[in-house]
Amino acid sequence: MQQVQQVRRVPQALRPLSPQTLRLVLLLVLIALVPASSCARRPAGPAPSNELLIIGYDREPDTLNRFSTHILEDIQTNVIEGLTTTDEHMNIIPLLASEVPTLENGGVWMRPDGGMDVTWKLRPGVTWHDGTPLTSADVKFTVDAINDPAYNPESTDGFDRIASVDTPDALTAVVHYKEVYAPYALQFFRGTLPKHVLEGRDIDTATDYNRSPLGTGPYRVAEWKSGEFIRLERVPSYWRGPQYPRIRQLLFRFISNTNTRINQLKSGEVHLVAMFPWDKHREVEGVAGVRVHRTPGNAYEHVTLNQKAVPAFRDVRVRRALMHAIDRELIVKTILDGLAPVTHGPIQPVSWAFTDDTAKYAFDPARAKTLLSEAGWADGKLTFTLIAQAGFAVRETVAQVLQRQFRDVGVDMKIELHDGTTISSVWFEGKFQAMLHWWQMPADPELTLFFATDRTPPRGRNINYITDQPLTDLVYAADRTVDRAERTRLLGLAQQRIADLLPELPLYGITKLDAIPVGLQGFKGNPTNVGVFWNVHEWEMR
Amino acid sequence: MGDAVARRVVAALPLLLIISVGVFGLIHLIPGGPLAVYLSSPGVRPEDLERLSRALGLDQPLWRQYLQWLAGFVRGDWGYSFSDGRPVFDRVAERLPATLELMGASLILALVVTLPLGVLPAVSRRWSSLSVISFAGISLPVFWFGLVLQLVFAVGLGWLPSSGRTTPGDGGVIDRFTHVLLPATMLAAVHAAAWSRYLRASIGATLAQPFVQAARARGVPNRRVVLIHALRPALLPVLTIVLLDTALMVAGTVVTESVFAWPGLGSLFTEALARRDYTVLMAMLMLASTAVVLFNLVADVLYPALDPRVRQ
Repeated sequence: MQQVQQVRRVPQALRPLSPQTLRLVLLLVLIALVPASSCARRPAGPAPSNELLIIGYDREPDTLNRFSTHILEDIQTNVIEGLTTTDEHMNIIPLLASEVPTLENGGVWMRPDGGMDVTWKLRPGVTWHDGTPLTSADVKFTVDAINDPAYNPESTDGFDRIASVDTPDALTAVVHYKEVYAPYALQFFRGTLPKHVLEGRDIDTATDYNRSPLGTGPYRVAEWKSGEFIRLERVPSYWRGPQYPRIRQLLFRFISNTNTRINQLKSGEVHLVAMFPWDKHREVEGVAGVRVHRTPGNAYEHVTLNQKAVPAFRDVRVRRALMHAIDRELIVKTILDGLAPVTHGPIQPVSWAFTDDTAKYAFDPARAKTLLSEAGWADGKLTFTLIAQAGFAVRETVAQVLQRQFRDVGVDMKIELHDGTTISSVWFEGKFQAMLHWWQMPADPELTLFFATDRTPPRGRNINYITDQPLTDLVYAADRTVDRAERTRLLGLAQQRIADLLPELPLYGITKLDAIPVGLQGFKGNPTNVGVFWNVHEWEMR
Repeated sequence: MGDAVARRVVAALPLLLIISVGVFGLIHLIPGGPLAVYLSSPGVRPEDLERLSRALGLDQPLWRQYLQWLAGFVRGDWGYSFSDGRPVFDRVAERLPATLELMGASLILALVVTLPLGVLPAVSRRWSSLSVISFAGISLPVFWFGLVLQLVFAVGLGWLPSSGRTTPGDGGVIDRFTHVLLPATMLAAVHAAAWSRYLRASIGATLAQPFVQAARARGVPNRRVVLIHALRPALLPVLTIVLLDTALMVAGTVVTESVFAWPGLGSLFTEALARRDYTVLMAMLMLASTAVVLFNLVADVLYPALDPRVRQ
């Protein structure tokens, strides 16, 4: 009797299920099985093959017109080809041009009046996707359209230095520059606009072209489902030959959330994710059927020190002290998981202009303290605020480490995080003290924009507000030199000057991480903003 | 009754006008503008920015920009998107069906869960443990819950697609259904949890009323008392909340659609906000405000229909 009483007091949850509960649970399981069973027949997604490759893409493009957007979209690279492009080693290689014009091959001629002429020889036999041949008239049309005030391209940089274009024959375009323009070889890396489609039209509102541009590349836009995906289909008669490209369809799915993009990679719904964040590295390494391709990038993470806003930063001893205070090796080994190399300047080893022969600043807190007290900023007097873009886990952690390491030498740094658009306008207006960020450097090593005294915003990106005449002279001289050897020498001197002055604190180079299918052959990566699809015609699933 | 509705509609117009001024001011207060995205591109120079600013009409004084926007908006001309140059109306219209689909599915799902969770604990103490589920639902960090759903059902079990609205090239009914399940669950979770707790509290309050005691005194069985006598009056306050929450669900779609790459208004809003695409933002915020006002109105109209006492 006593025992029975006790059994009744057992908490409700432990009692065997009542018939009603059981019925309900069964019903719920059944409801759950309806969709599950219909899905079980369907795999998470097709495996990557030469029939279809699915790319997890971090955004939906605004436009596919390469001249109207600030971003070089990977999608455009498959459809539109430039006269030149940059390869995995950042060399400029001919694409629709039969060769890159240089002084040596006679393609570049310095005029006695201080200008220069660049002769572009187009590759014979290239046609637009509608069968119309690509000619020098398209090159001329492109220059004229971009310089026409009626059209609003993102930038007219370079084009506005062109006086005119001559087209002596269908495959030759002679570009007359008003002045010497060293990055001329990349002038047409965004491609050309098709004259026969766009002539006489308002390009800004030419939705047919901007949503499905006519190109010469291995793919054309087959379908754009707003908010969901863009599907590219191989063109039947690509100029490289009928065997290219080897993959029939590329499907770009727009997935802005990084976690979701990685989850799709794990579930096999997407096959390739380019440039995924470093903090996902270990997670992606473990995904079956996926391997991580690493490319040393042409970008570097650094701390910009705004000399206009913080007078202390105008003292080179303070800047050197801050550099000595940072243990970059430790940051690279721990937070960055060994993914990124320590860097010492704005030009990275991937560039032909890189020199290692510059001053370096080892981790030395004692030296940092000495320099600070020499400069009159002994213990605890120097305080400033570092801004960084929110949402980058690695960067936020690095900022905290910097804060700690600066505190160890008696410098008090506060951290503020902002969204990307806010950051852009804040630095553009110079309304910050220090900033942790990276620059994607141009493939052509043009340092003027970042270090010349007169190139502070809005005229440039000198947001350290460094004013140094010898450095300014050096970088401008390099910009006006076409001869490669002389330009290398000038840029070497500029890098040494920058290392001595230390206007900003270089931390580490950016390694680009791309998650690709194990069986994908021919993938090479790319250090520049040209993106990984520059050699997509060679890709093949084995 | 018709007069009352007409009066409410007319009263709503100045309200929407005030909202439009406030919203217009607020989005221009956010640091950075539509041109900020161009700044990171090294090729863009001051003359390019000036040219683009003129082209977008951003060089005009703010009050003039507002009046131009308002004049267009009331005529049905919502302007052009700053980011892709297409008509704002087209951009919103092409995203609307996806959001309606998601919200509809969430609403059904939330109600299906709300009713048993709210009613059963009142029917019998045996079901009282169900309230733990509502409690857990309210406490869920929504963003995290969405990712967990993906990990379990897409990555782990492989039963459902992790995100998107359709499988490219498919888009059949079953395909659409499997795609909407996880995002709808995420969006419904918080609402279902909250609504079931309201419903339970409301039933509890109703059960204490004299007419319920009278029914019990007549010997009506408990189950019948709850389901027939108490449920209908108890549903009234919950209905108001459901209607108001439905309008506010739009806000929930912003997070849900971003996690599940759902091609609706929520993800468009996220993109437009990141780009400071003022014209798209204005159109969407005004739509959302109108929806809130409208659902308030519907709640007011429906209430008397359900409760004879209010009609008098």
